[in-house]
Amino acid sequence: MNKKKQKNFIHGLSGLPWAALGVIAVVLICAAGGEALLPQDPGDLDLGAAFRPPFWLDGGDLATPLGADNLGRDILSRIMAGARVTVIVAFYAILLSGSLGALIGMIAGFFGGWVDQVLMRFIEIQQSIPSIALALLLAAALEPGLSTVVVVIVLTYWAWYARIIRGEILALKGRDYVAFARIAGVSTPVIFLRHLLPNIFNTLIVLATLQVGQVILFEASLSFLGLGIQQPDISWGLMLADARQYITNAWWAITMPGIAIMLTCLAANVFGDWLRDRLDPKLRQL
Amino acid sequence: MLQLDAITKHYPTRQGLVRAVEAVSLTVAPRSTLALVGESGCGKTTIAKMILRLETPTAGRILFEGQDIAAMDRIAVHRYRRAVMAVFQDPYASLNPRMRVGAIIAEPILAHENPGRAAVTRRIEEVLDIVGLPAGAARLYPHEFSGGQRQRIAIARALALQPRLMVLDEPVSALDVSIRAQVLNLLQDIQDEFGLTYLVIAHDLALVEHFSSDVAVIYLGRVAETGPTAEVFAQPRHPYTRALLAAVPQPDPDHILSEAAAAGEIASALNPPPGCRFHPRCPRAMDLCRTTVPVPSAPPHITACHAPHEGAPT
Amino acid sequence: MTLLTVENLQTHLHLQRGILRAVDGVSLHVDGGETLGLVGESGSGKTMTGLSLLRLLPEGSGRIAGGSIRLDGTELTELSETTLARDIRGSRIAMIMQDPMTSLNPVFSIGDQVGSPLRNHGIARGARLRSAVIDVLQRVRIPSPDQRLGDYPHQFSGGQRQRVVAAMAIGCTPRLLIADEPTTALDVTIQVQIIALLRRIQGETGAGIILITHDLGVAASLCHRIAVMYAGQIVETAPVRRLYRAPAHPYTRALLAAIPRLGDKRARLAAIPGQPPSLIDPPIGCRFAPRCAERMDKCAQAPPLTDLGDGHTASCWKLGTA
Repeated sequence: MNKKKQKNFIHGLSGLPWAALGVIAVVLICAAGGEALLPQDPGDLDLGAAFRPPFWLDGGDLATPLGADNLGRDILSRIMAGARVTVIVAFYAILLSGSLGALIGMIAGFFGGWVDQVLMRFIEIQQSIPSIALALLLAAALEPGLSTVVVVIVLTYWAWYARIIRGEILALKGRDYVAFARIAGVSTPVIFLRHLLPNIFNTLIVLATLQVGQVILFEASLSFLGLGIQQPDISWGLMLADARQYITNAWWAITMPGIAIMLTCLAANVFGDWLRDRLDPKLRQL
Repeated sequence: MLQLDAITKHYPTRQGLVRAVEAVSLTVAPRSTLALVGESGCGKTTIAKMILRLETPTAGRILFEGQDIAAMDRIAVHRYRRAVMAVFQDPYASLNPRMRVGAIIAEPILAHENPGRAAVTRRIEEVLDIVGLPAGAARLYPHEFSGGQRQRIAIARALALQPRLMVLDEPVSALDVSIRAQVLNLLQDIQDEFGLTYLVIAHDLALVEHFSSDVAVIYLGRVAETGPTAEVFAQPRHPYTRALLAAVPQPDPDHILSEAAAAGEIASALNPPPGCRFHPRCPRAMDLCRTTVPVPSAPPHITACHAPHEGAPT
Repeated sequence: MTLLTVENLQTHLHLQRGILRAVDGVSLHVDGGETLGLVGESGSGKTMTGLSLLRLLPEGSGRIAGGSIRLDGTELTELSETTLARDIRGSRIAMIMQDPMTSLNPVFSIGDQVGSPLRNHGIARGARLRSAVIDVLQRVRIPSPDQRLGDYPHQFSGGQRQRVVAAMAIGCTPRLLIADEPTTALDVTIQVQIIALLRRIQGETGAGIILITHDLGVAASLCHRIAVMYAGQIVETAPVRRLYRAPAHPYTRALLAAIPRLGDKRARLAAIPGQPPSLIDPPIGCRFAPRCAERMDKCAQAPPLTDLGDGHTASCWKLGTA
C-alpha cells in the first residue's frame, strides 16, 4: 500500500459514522442472536419484581438493569428480543414498499402520457385512504400478526415512494445528458439503466432511511390497536403499548423501549446521510 | 445537406395553441455553419429540437441529405442518429455526474457498434486529444473539470462517432469570457479538419458574425431574414435585424447604442400579432404590415418584410 | 467629490476545503454621479466585492477579514448589523441583481414590493405611499403605473420586471447603486433599454453606480471608469477610453483580444490559454502570470501598483520597468 492510498484508506475510515454503525450492529446482533444472547427469559414472570426500577435508582437490581415491567419481566431482555420483530418488519416493509413504489414511479415518470395519468390517479386514491382504516380492514380480512403489519405498511407507503420517484424521473428526463443519449441513438432501456436509475438511488436511500423510524412507530401503533404483533411475541411497539397505562408509576417501562426506537431511527438516518454522500461522486472526494 | 421545408410547430396548452415555429424554411450547405439568432422564446431551440428528432414538426418536412427524417424507418433513424450530434449550452447539466469521462465519450460509440474494449479506449484517447485534453481525463468524473474543460468533453463525446452535422446550442455562452475564445477556436479547427456542418444557436451577434457562414434571424417563430452572414450583417434589410445589430454593446466607449430601433418587447407565441409579427415594435410599420404576412424575397439573401431597408445601416 | 472609498478590502469565505480569499486587497473609489465598472470573469471576486459593501456575504462562511469601506466619511465595516440594515442597506446603498425573477417575490404585488423600502426607511407612509410608489414606477418608465400597482411579478415581461427591480432600488434615492449583471438575463433589445434607464436614473439622482459585469461591451456603454478584476484583485483601473484604447495590463489586453466584435474580420480569436486559478491556493506573485504571454522571472513576486497618470493604474512588472 503506497502512502497516498494509505492516507485515503485512513481518511475513509475516519469518515465512517461509527456511532450509528455501532447502534445498528447491536440491533442486528440482538435480532440475529435469538434466545442465546438474552440475560433472562423475556417471558419470565416474576411478580415480586413488578415495577422494579433500573439499577441506578433506589430499589433497583442489576438482575434487571433497565428495570422490570408490570409483570416483573426484564425490560432489557424484552428490548433485545423485540429487536428481532422490529428488524424483520422494517426490512421487509421498506424493501417491498420501496421497490413497488419506485417501480411504479419510474414507469409513470418515464412513459408519461396516459400511463402516467392512470398511475397518478391510483397514487392519489391510495393517499386519500386513511392508513388506520386500511389496517382495520386488512386485519379483519387477514390474521393480525407480523405479515399483516408488513402488508399494511407496504400498501400505505408505496404511493409515497412512487410520487417522489416519479418527480425525480421527470426532472432527470429533462437533463441535457438524457437528451444527448437520445440524440446519439442510445436505446431506451440503456438510458433508463445508465442515466435514470443510478440518479434516483440517492433519493431511494434517503427515503428508506427516513422510513425506518416511521415503520417502527407504525408497527407500534398497529400493535397498540391490537392489529399488529400479538402476545406472546415481543416488539418495541407492543412494549410501548403495554407500558402506557403505567407511565406514572413506572416511567422506565415505556422510556427504555422508546430510547431503543429513538436510537435506532437516529442511527438509520445518520447512516443514510453518510451513504448518500458516499454514493455521490461529487461529494466523495471532498 | 439539411433542408427545412416550411416546418411548423404548434403546442397545445391550457391557455391555447402556442405557435412556436411557423413555416420556417432554411437550407444548410455541407461544411457551412448556419447560425439561428433571435431573442429568447423566438423558437430557435424548438427548431433545433425538431432537427434532432426530439420533437416532431406539426407540419413541413426536414430533409437530411435528401431524406425526409420523419419518414425514416428504424435503421435509417439509427444511421441519422449516428450522423447528427449535439453540444449543449450548460456543460454542468450535459454530462452525467455519475459517469466517468471515458464512459461518457464511449456512450454514443457503444450505442451503434461494439468494436471491442481496446478500440473504444483508443477512440476515447483520440477524441480527447483532438479537444486538447490528456488521455488520463477518461478516468475522472465531470465535476473534476472546469466549465471550459467540460465543454471540451461534451465536444469530444459529440465527435466520437465522426458525425456529419453538429447542432451547437449556445456552445460558449455559459463559459467565461477568457475561455470562450478557446472553445470557439477549437470548434472551428474541428470543422476544418473533419469537414463538419454546424447549426449553431446563439444570441451574441458579434460571435455569430465571427463564427458562422450563414445566418437566419428568427422573430416569434418566423424567419425575418436569412442569407450569407457577411451580407446580412453588412446590409441588413429587415428592421428587426437592424434593431438587433444596433443594440449590441460594443467594447468601444465611443460606440452609440440605439434604443429606438425596436420599441417594447417580444409578444407571446400564444397570441402572435397578425400580419408581420414584428409590426408592433417596428418603426417602419405600415397598414399592410398589420394585416398581411410578408412573402420572403428570393435567395440567397432572403427577407420577409414589406418595407425592407436598402444599403448599409448608417 | 468622493462618495465611496474602499481600501485594501479582504473578504474570506470559510469553506470545508479551506479559506477562499474571494476579495484580496481591493481598493477603489466612486464619485457621486459616476459609474465605475467592475469587470471580471466568474470567480474573479467582483460580485463578492459588491456584496461586501453591503455586508451581504454568504451566511456562516463569508467574512470581511480586513480593509476599510467609507461611504460619505462613515466607516461601514465598524457599523453594527442593525445600524447597517437601518441606515445603509436599501436606503443609502441599493442593489440591482441579475435575475429579476428571483429578486422579486412572486406572492406580493409590485406595489407592495416597491413600497416596502419606502415604508421601512420612513420615506412615505399611509396615503402618500401610493403616490410615491406610482412616482417611482413612472421614473423607471412602467406604462400606466397606477393601474399596475396590484399586479404580480409574473404579469410583467422580463424587461419590465428588471424595471420594477430598479424602482425598488431607487425608491429611497440611494447615494450608491450597485448593479450586479443587471442586463445579463435579458435579450439585447431589452438590454439596451435597461442600459438607457440606468443612465437616466443616474442623471436624475446623481447617484454613484458600481456596475458589476463580465461583458466588456455593456461596461463600455455605461461606465466612466473601469476596474478590471482577476483572481480576487484589481489588476487595472482606468478611465473608460484609456482602458479600451490603451490597456496596460496583459490580462486586460488579452481579454479585449479574446472577444469577437461586430465588423471584426479576424479569422481566429486570440484565446487566453489555461484557466483562472483557485482562490484557495492562488499562485504566488502575479496571479495572471501562469497564463500571461509576457511572463518574466520577476512575475514570481507580486507586482507593485504603477500609476500611469490621469487615474490610470495597473499592477504589472512590465510597467514598473518602463
